[in-house]
Amino acid sequence: MGAGVTVNLENVWIKFGDFVAVREANVNIKGGDFFSFLGPSGCGKTTILRAVSGFLDPSEGRVLIGGKDMAGIGPNKRPTALIFQNLALFPLMKIWENITFSMEVAGASAGDRRKRADELLDMIALSGQGDKFPSELSGGQKQRVAIARALCAEPDVLLLDEPLSALDLKLRQHMRTELREIQQRVGISFIYITHDQGEALTMSDSVAVMRAGIIDQIAGGHEIYDHPATPFVASFVGENNVFRGKLQSVNGNEAVIRTNRSGDLLAQITPTAVGKMKAGDDAMMFVRPEALALGEASPDSKTTISANVLNEEFEGNSYSVFLEGDGGKQIKMSLPNLGQDRESSKGSSLALHYDASTAVVMPAGELASE
Amino acid sequence: MKKPMIFSEFFKNNGPVMGSILMVLVGFWIIVLIVLPQLSMLDFSFRFNLPPAELGGPKDNYTLKNYKQLVYGAAGSEGTYNTVDLMVFVRTIVTAIFVTIANIIMCYPLAYYLGQSKGTSFARLLVVMLIIPYWINEILRAFALRIIFGETGLINEVLTFLHLTAEPIDFIRQNYALYAGLGYAYILLMLFPMYNVIESLDRNQIEAARDMGASWIRIHRRIVIPHAKPGIASGATMVFMLSAGALAVPQVLGGPSSLWFTQLVYQWFNDSLNWQQGSAYAIVLLFSSIAIVLTLMRIFKVNMGDIGK
Amino acid sequence: MSPKVISRLALGAYLLIFFGYLLGPLVVMSLTAFNSSGFPSVSPWACFTFEWFDVLFKDQRILNGIKNSIIIGIGTVIVSIAIGLSAALVLTQVWPKLRTTYYTIIIAPILIPGVVLGISTIVFWDRVSRLLGPSTDALFHNGIFLTILGQSTFIASYAMLIFVARLARFDPGLTEAALDLGATHTQAFRKILLPFMRPAIASAAVLAFLASFENYNTTTFTFGNYPTLTIELAQKVRYGINPSISSLAFIIVVLTVFGALAFEAYRRNTGNKERAKEGKAAPKSGGILPGFLRGNPAAVVLVLLCFTVITAVGTAQSYSPEQCKMDVRAAKQLEIDLRIEALEEKRRLRELGKTHEGPDIFGTPEVESEDKAPSSSGAFGDVFKDLEQGD
Ligand SMILES: Nc1ncnc2c1ncn2[C@@H]1O[C@H](COP(=O)(O)OP(=O)(O)OP(=O)(O)O)[C@@H](O)[C@H]1O
Ligand SMILES: [Mg+2]
Repeated sequence: MGAGVTVNLENVWIKFGDFVAVREANVNIKGGDFFSFLGPSGCGKTTILRAVSGFLDPSEGRVLIGGKDMAGIGPNKRPTALIFQNLALFPLMKIWENITFSMEVAGASAGDRRKRADELLDMIALSGQGDKFPSELSGGQKQRVAIARALCAEPDVLLLDEPLSALDLKLRQHMRTELREIQQRVGISFIYITHDQGEALTMSDSVAVMRAGIIDQIAGGHEIYDHPATPFVASFVGENNVFRGKLQSVNGNEAVIRTNRSGDLLAQITPTAVGKMKAGDDAMMFVRPEALALGEASPDSKTTISANVLNEEFEGNSYSVFLEGDGGKQIKMSLPNLGQDRESSKGSSLALHYDASTAVVMPAGELASE
Repeated sequence: MKKPMIFSEFFKNNGPVMGSILMVLVGFWIIVLIVLPQLSMLDFSFRFNLPPAELGGPKDNYTLKNYKQLVYGAAGSEGTYNTVDLMVFVRTIVTAIFVTIANIIMCYPLAYYLGQSKGTSFARLLVVMLIIPYWINEILRAFALRIIFGETGLINEVLTFLHLTAEPIDFIRQNYALYAGLGYAYILLMLFPMYNVIESLDRNQIEAARDMGASWIRIHRRIVIPHAKPGIASGATMVFMLSAGALAVPQVLGGPSSLWFTQLVYQWFNDSLNWQQGSAYAIVLLFSSIAIVLTLMRIFKVNMGDIGK
Repeated sequence: MSPKVISRLALGAYLLIFFGYLLGPLVVMSLTAFNSSGFPSVSPWACFTFEWFDVLFKDQRILNGIKNSIIIGIGTVIVSIAIGLSAALVLTQVWPKLRTTYYTIIIAPILIPGVVLGISTIVFWDRVSRLLGPSTDALFHNGIFLTILGQSTFIASYAMLIFVARLARFDPGLTEAALDLGATHTQAFRKILLPFMRPAIASAAVLAFLASFENYNTTTFTFGNYPTLTIELAQKVRYGINPSISSLAFIIVVLTVFGALAFEAYRRNTGNKERAKEGKAAPKSGGILPGFLRGNPAAVVLVLLCFTVITAVGTAQSYSPEQCKMDVRAAKQLEIDLRIEALEEKRRLRELGKTHEGPDIFGTPEVESEDKAPSSSGAFGDVFKDLEQGD
């Protein structure tokens, strides 16, 4: 197996006619990393992957793999292997022929191919099933065959386009761990595409969050979750409560935002915006549901929010409490279920307290649609 | 600016080897087999019929003579029209139109029946039975009709036997055999496109309409026929073009006094060895039948893309 | 009677008439092959005979025509499939704005009258050979060359339509996957697309061969010194008929029935298989019939038909013609006498200056054929000479 190889996108633009599918993408992927692109449907994830694998050329900018410019190099010459969104197993070939197709086109003998196929079938726990056709396998099995087929090509970089989207929840969770294990075993770079933030956060070393052709933030999972760079990232990754307003005062990396309904609130400025914000700017503050706790009502506190409870839902390990928030939006609070009986607080007014270090404020911008 | 982009993309998608092969084959077809021959026939139709030695010589000019021949007859008889050839032309076109209409009427019920009872084994059997004549030589089909319509053929024998006629009827001289033969020759090219589109009609639509109290006639007029229109248009185009351009059927079944326009073309080529004249007649046939098809397509609002489905 | 019964009856009558019109003439024609009467007919049934098949198999022109047809058919299949497949592949990729124009151009040959295609082919290649000099004459005026090109012009369109239908179901992702795994474009084509297209190629090949085999309008201008079977048939049908054509027609009808059934059986079979492969209806194995026949009535009919034909041919081999031949000869003699009488009668009438035209037994299509009779019967004379030599 090839050792980890870096992949760099330098100022990549991709256009289809007048439509800009990818705008100014700059990405540096370390060798051996598990790197994810996360974004809603249609934001250009597949398009980026196709530029890396060589099916389309960037309209501007460069794609480098292992430091080498890939311009003019076709997909069959690049050290990448792509697992397609719909898998694209060859329906008229047996499983073992599918897996070793890359050897077949390189001219390997049938014996060698059979042997390699058996090894890979062992690895994906499908021993003895090599003579079936793809149509005779289950969804998860097909998934694993597609992985084995890509790995058989001994790529330096494995590209995966939402490979788990067709699977049911249980299998998807199982395959997540399996994929991560495979990646660690073979040690090559994985570029993984998903619109499921859970997948991105659990598996990746780094995540790039995309919005309509633009990469908003590239960082580790924790960083993205705790310090989202833009309102889009904050609202797309995990659940978040948004408060809009104007900055009242800025003090180092802390700021006070004046909201319509909840008064002045204190929060940390997200790292990328430190030093760029000043009083009077339109801003947004985000607090996660699990960062909210019940507290004492105190009108002077800048970390307390008072609101009427609209609804309450029981979710097993927690209760979700929905409160009347800003501009028609509800505030969601998550309370752990600790086994005690709870009286419904529906209709009453609650005071919610949070720690200023768990709230982030940033310049106002577009939110992810729900 | 845009063209080279298409080509480079084409070669990127297909690779240099496959890309070139595709380009060469398609180019050969379009240019060498389709466009250039038609153009050289057009060019030919404007030239004099010269002996090989004089080709390219001073006499090898362009002329309208070959077209005048069709309208006015041979040179010298200027002023009077070439009624014989013009009549042949008109009769060919008119008959071809009637053959097309007759085929639409004959095929519609069967196409509807087959389309609605798709999947039943009886319908499958009927389709296989339809395929058989479809695959049999046009000449042989004409020959079969010739046997039946001949003076001592089956129909005359039956008619005489039943004392319906005293004398055998000369179906061939009366052109009945020709009409029957033309109707017979291309009927399946009408049926199959019609059947294909009607088959794709959702039965629920018909049932919904019937539920709302629509009569059968209205259901056909408002639902089935509009849905089947591309198929009917496709079939009608094929039948019309093939009938107008038919050669075998009129040669085998045509009466002595009623030539088909293609037979005139054939005579110019093979009997008079005047290729230029023949080309002019062929051009007239080609352009007038295309013009008729395009006009009808415009009238009935059918697209080119529907043809050949 | 309820309206339902009436409409059923009407439907039945309609189907009967339609299929009678379609199949009746073919049945009658096939029957005439077994009537020893010298003119193809059924109703004065002389005697059941196989002699017309003998006549047919000794007819050099027919045999030669079959040979030419097969050569041209194979050539046309190769050319038109290569072109049709390329054109279909280009159609899937062509720039959307050019698509309609391109489609119109490649569908046009279906609509251009065959006569026009034949003429334009010879005119064009005649011009080419004049341009390139006399050394190319032999090729560009060669009947086989011209016929293959002339026929391929429109048969390629038919092939293209078949391929477009199949390609619509192809996932281009498969080709990309192959490329991604290191295949060259040529390998991806050979290993992925071609296997997928195989059933369509088989159908297109059969169709192209049949279309070539039966083509008359184009071939009649291009054949040169290589008359195809259809050309020979047309000559015979136009200038003089005897039931050996019926016997050939009978053979073609039988082959076509076989072909249609086999094709249908094959289609259903592969259809079932593909459906199974796509995991829609996995057929349970078991049952008495072999897999090929299961759920495939056409295949069953085909097998039954095979048995019938084998039996019939067996009977024909052992069918003792002696007594029959005597009868045939007697009947023939009688017929000839009658005919001579009729002809004499006719001549007498004509000599009497009667303007009325007598009944024409042969139903020949052209008045002038009486003038042409010597030349056309020359062709027949050869046939009979062959026959005499054969006997
Ligand atoms: N060949 C193309 N021509 C024109 N536009 C295209 C083409 N391919 C993609 N697009 C457009 O580019 C945008 C991004 O598409 P892309 O396939 O990259 O989305 P994606 O992020 O992978 O979405 P999904 O999660 O649904 O797979 C979409 O708006 C799409 O319509
Ligand atoms: Mg995608």
